[in-house]
Amino acid sequence: MSAVARTRAVVVDRPAAALVVPLLLFDLLAFVVPFGFLLRISLSDRLPAQAYAEGTWSTAGYRYLLDPSNTLLSVLGFTLAFAVVVTALSVLIATLYAHAMWRADGAVRAVLIAGALVSMFTAIVVKLFAAILVFSPQGAFNTALVGSGLLSEPLRLVNNAPGAVIGQLYIVVPYSILAVYSVLSTVDESLIEAARDLGAGGPRAFREVVVPHAVPGMLVAGVISFTWSVGSYAAPLLLGSGSERTAGIAVSDLLLRQFDWPAAAALAVVVTLSVVAVLVATRIALGRSGVSSGGR
Amino acid sequence: MVGDRAATAAFRLAYAAVFAFLLAPVVVVVATSVSASSAVAFPPDGLSTRWYAALFASDRWLRAIRNSLVVAAGTTLLSTTLGVLGALGTRRIDGRAADVVAGLAVLPLLVPGVVLGVALLVFFSELGRQQELWTIVAAHSLWATPLTYSVMRATFTRYDWRLRDAALDLGATRVRAFREVVAPNVTAGLVAAALIAFVVSLQEFVMTLFLSGRGTRTVPVVAWNSLRNSLDPLVSVTSTLLVAAVVVVVAAVGVAVGLDRAARDA
Repeated sequence: MSAVARTRAVVVDRPAAALVVPLLLFDLLAFVVPFGFLLRISLSDRLPAQAYAEGTWSTAGYRYLLDPSNTLLSVLGFTLAFAVVVTALSVLIATLYAHAMWRADGAVRAVLIAGALVSMFTAIVVKLFAAILVFSPQGAFNTALVGSGLLSEPLRLVNNAPGAVIGQLYIVVPYSILAVYSVLSTVDESLIEAARDLGAGGPRAFREVVVPHAVPGMLVAGVISFTWSVGSYAAPLLLGSGSERTAGIAVSDLLLRQFDWPAAAALAVVVTLSVVAVLVATRIALGRSGVSSGGR
Repeated sequence: MVGDRAATAAFRLAYAAVFAFLLAPVVVVVATSVSASSAVAFPPDGLSTRWYAALFASDRWLRAIRNSLVVAAGTTLLSTTLGVLGALGTRRIDGRAADVVAGLAVLPLLVPGVVLGVALLVFFSELGRQQELWTIVAAHSLWATPLTYSVMRATFTRYDWRLRDAALDLGATRVRAFREVVAPNVTAGLVAAALIAFVVSLQEFVMTLFLSGRGTRTVPVVAWNSLRNSLDPLVSVTSTLLVAAVVVVVAAVGVAVGLDRAARDA
């Protein structure tokens, strides 16, 4: 009986496991192979007249990144600082908003959830375009603040570093909100009632009951915000000025304008490695504290 | 207690401000799309549908709309198929191997779009296949498949597989059991996965920016190119249409799987 059952299990289950083959094949052809090719180009020699020297092996691309005669090191520094600022703001905003979603009931909760989902599903181009309209000196935000007498003159919030940060926040905040909310929604709400019954005020209950439970979600939100900001391209390009140059913009310039494929590939590899490093570090930290990494 | 009440008021004000921040783009874009003036300004001066008429008279935008729909449909088909098959297959693999498969399946979502775009551009140009629509479908599927795969794994975990085993015991073939017993019960997840794939493709533009050419630009790419020159009322119009399309899709997902669950699973 058991031998028959085992034979049946193998015959029946093998084809089922084979269903992952198309997925793996796709990832191999459209992801692993192109990425391997990029890695190979990053290790080719640079040529002035051509995209790259085919068949050569060289670390010229990587050495070019470190060359003080170009600004790539300061670009990497700016990218890192930009990602840190965006991540801190994003986690803060997301925790606040997710907490409001979690505490609200009925219609208010539905409206707050819908707000996060609509923003998440609004195309990035649309959000960046609208951010210019809202935050430019003649935009709705400044008009309202100046008109109400809160400000004497409009704040400069586009074509500079604050603009780049605002644009990037539009990209990462909705996902961060949902990351925190997906963790908070599993927490028993009566915990906070209990804390308040025991005399804790709202802020204290938030700090001592809500935040500790939200930490895994905040970590996921932080990872999403950081990895996407390290690779940011559109927001700093459209809402920043020329000096808000991130690694993503530099990769694109090296590839399409300077036609220097080894250097572009090397920078892309460095960006990807720093993203992977952050993910691995977080994974280890989460594993050590014994919490799972949530929905994503 | 006064401090407590002040804190509560500050908290309300703060999350209302975030809500306004999140929804401001949608409000502004819709308002400017119906503006009568030729300069993009908010609040708009006078209402008019002239820019909608202009959009539907523009070959450039109509081609972009067609490209967007073709790519989104292709991405939905490819990534939902891969996601469903992959999720079914992963159920039959145990432990460590399943973790590896799941990790590889989700990995592309974590690589920055500009890096993927550059990698694929270099790769496809080496193959001599630049600026073709199917290359954009492949790129979008790299991001859509991790999502369809995750949604379908969650869906299949919730499904009671004894129902399918009963169908098999009663003599149904595997394909028939899947079609008649499993599929009807996982429709909500399937619909959600497909719609998410569609939306991801519809709004993706960094990879498309690198991979598309004159004839294959999608709506977000044409919008981006116009924005780099000046603020264009037609961008407001297409943005409004994109937002409307997405709101319809989110509403459909909400009806299919429940808004609250969608927010937690996303």
